[in-house]
Amino acid sequence: MTSQLTFTGFAWKNLWRRRLRTLLTLCGIGMAIGAFVALVGFSRSFEHEWQRLYSSSGTDIAVVDKNFMNSSVDQSIQGRLRAVPVVEQAEPMIFNIMDITPEVNAIIFGWLDDSYEFNSLTFSSGGRFHNGKPELILGEMLAKNLDKKVGDTVELQGSTFTVAGIYAGGTALESGAVILPLDQVQQLTSLQGKVSGFHVRLKAAPLGESPEHYLKRAQAEIEAALPGLNAQGAADRASNNQFVTLAHAVAWGTSCIALLMGILGIANTMAMSVFERTREIGILRAIGWKAWRVMMLIQVEATVLGFVGGFIGIAVGWGALHLLSRLPQTASVVSSSLSWDHFVEALAISVLSGLIAGAYPAWRGAHLSPVEALRHD
Amino acid sequence: MTSPQLEVRELKKSYDEGRIEALRGVDLSIAAGEYVAITGASGSGKSTLLQLLGGLDTPTSGEVLFENAPLGTRINLDHYRAHQIGFIFQAFYLLPTLRAIENVQVPMMGVFKNSTRRADRAEALLCEMGMGHRLNQYPNELSAGERQRVAIARALANDPSILLADEPTGNLDSVNSAHVMEILTGIQKKRGMTLIIITHEDEIARCAPRHVRIRDGKIES
Repeated sequence: MTSQLTFTGFAWKNLWRRRLRTLLTLCGIGMAIGAFVALVGFSRSFEHEWQRLYSSSGTDIAVVDKNFMNSSVDQSIQGRLRAVPVVEQAEPMIFNIMDITPEVNAIIFGWLDDSYEFNSLTFSSGGRFHNGKPELILGEMLAKNLDKKVGDTVELQGSTFTVAGIYAGGTALESGAVILPLDQVQQLTSLQGKVSGFHVRLKAAPLGESPEHYLKRAQAEIEAALPGLNAQGAADRASNNQFVTLAHAVAWGTSCIALLMGILGIANTMAMSVFERTREIGILRAIGWKAWRVMMLIQVEATVLGFVGGFIGIAVGWGALHLLSRLPQTASVVSSSLSWDHFVEALAISVLSGLIAGAYPAWRGAHLSPVEALRHD
Repeated sequence: MTSPQLEVRELKKSYDEGRIEALRGVDLSIAAGEYVAITGASGSGKSTLLQLLGGLDTPTSGEVLFENAPLGTRINLDHYRAHQIGFIFQAFYLLPTLRAIENVQVPMMGVFKNSTRRADRAEALLCEMGMGHRLNQYPNELSAGERQRVAIARALANDPSILLADEPTGNLDSVNSAHVMEILTGIQKKRGMTLIIITHEDEIARCAPRHVRIRDGKIES
């Protein structure tokens, strides 16, 4: 059969000619994209779990101090909050992170034993704790990691608690969390009478009022009734709390550094390749190739590196996410699933990296004088 | 009298900021379908003249006209090289990663969009060169004579009107040399193409109907 030469085939042959260098470059961009997929996937997974946490419990609004990390609100305002006409239920809650063992730290929630938030949990054994008693309930994932069952004890900050129940949480965050009576967490943190905030369920929106408008109105009413406090929509709170923002910033920052390394790797490979193939570029120009076609050939080579490297990176990143979702230290906040959006985004970034990296070598190759290029040894 | 296909007027080319003068005012007219041999000692400027005729380089002063239109101004050099010129080099300059048939397809990539058409044409040209049995060999699997025949097929890929050959037999033994010259003259006659050969072999130069000698950057005869 007659061998047909296509433009992409030509580019691939040029890359395949220096197999080791091509493979090393692919590893470089693959690692960079892998880091992007794993880190950004991690942070998005974290955000997603927060969103699910709010939606599964039916919380519409979180009332907090201005600062989430150190939010401290007087529990005594609960009555005023419940008196706001749009509020159906308002539950005080404490959020914290504590070391359970030297290897495992977990999210700690402090709830009242009659909180509506229990509705999103299904007990696989035992049941709710009781206010005022040194009891706690564990998410299934955490219970498994700690090898605890109902009736066992757990040491927290020097105090001993009995496991009253083990629940299947609606989210990985809940499944890897420990929930205690609100007063017990207040004792542990020496913050009697203080809570992190309130989770609010709104009454049904009046007929004719859109959910978005109703939510905004409710926020405004709560903030007017409780000056100095912040009433945030649950979805907004899930996306914009400082944990998620920090996770996104770290993920993107680290990914950008890794991507820069990957881009430099491709640029170096393409620059070397152009230098080594100077005479060949001269031949192409001599036999009628226009400068832009030479530029395109080099760009296609760089893009192929980015494209193939992207797939390698996605596989590596997905593998890393899978591993993180199984590690006790991170299982509570990472899910191993990789969304199509994230897949396409990673591939697009990888291809774009190839295009950026190939730009200068391509320009240089295209602007070589044919005569000078043919003379090159 | 018909106007020349290629014409050079007062052509000068210098390098190294004018310190080296490769061509010092060359005038030459070549008619369509003519077979011209250009000879001269090493450094006489014959390869520089060929590069300027082929649009590979631009002169320091003077001009090269193709069918009365100056190269580089009224005629785009890339387009001129792609459509009017076929280059044959002493060192063959085949692309090592490509098979013989693929090498011949390379010049056509900017001219024929259909890859099947390119492949069919490349095969036909290689068969014409007696290389039908070596289509899928890589350059390093071919003898020097075979490589030059592939290079000739590549030069003919876009059906140019002018063939420029720079020492086409310089790397060949006498048998292959004779065979390559036979092919080149055969093509020139059959297709009515203009053939300009740079050579230092008197025997080859004598076979050409027109012989141009160049010395110290000027045409002697």
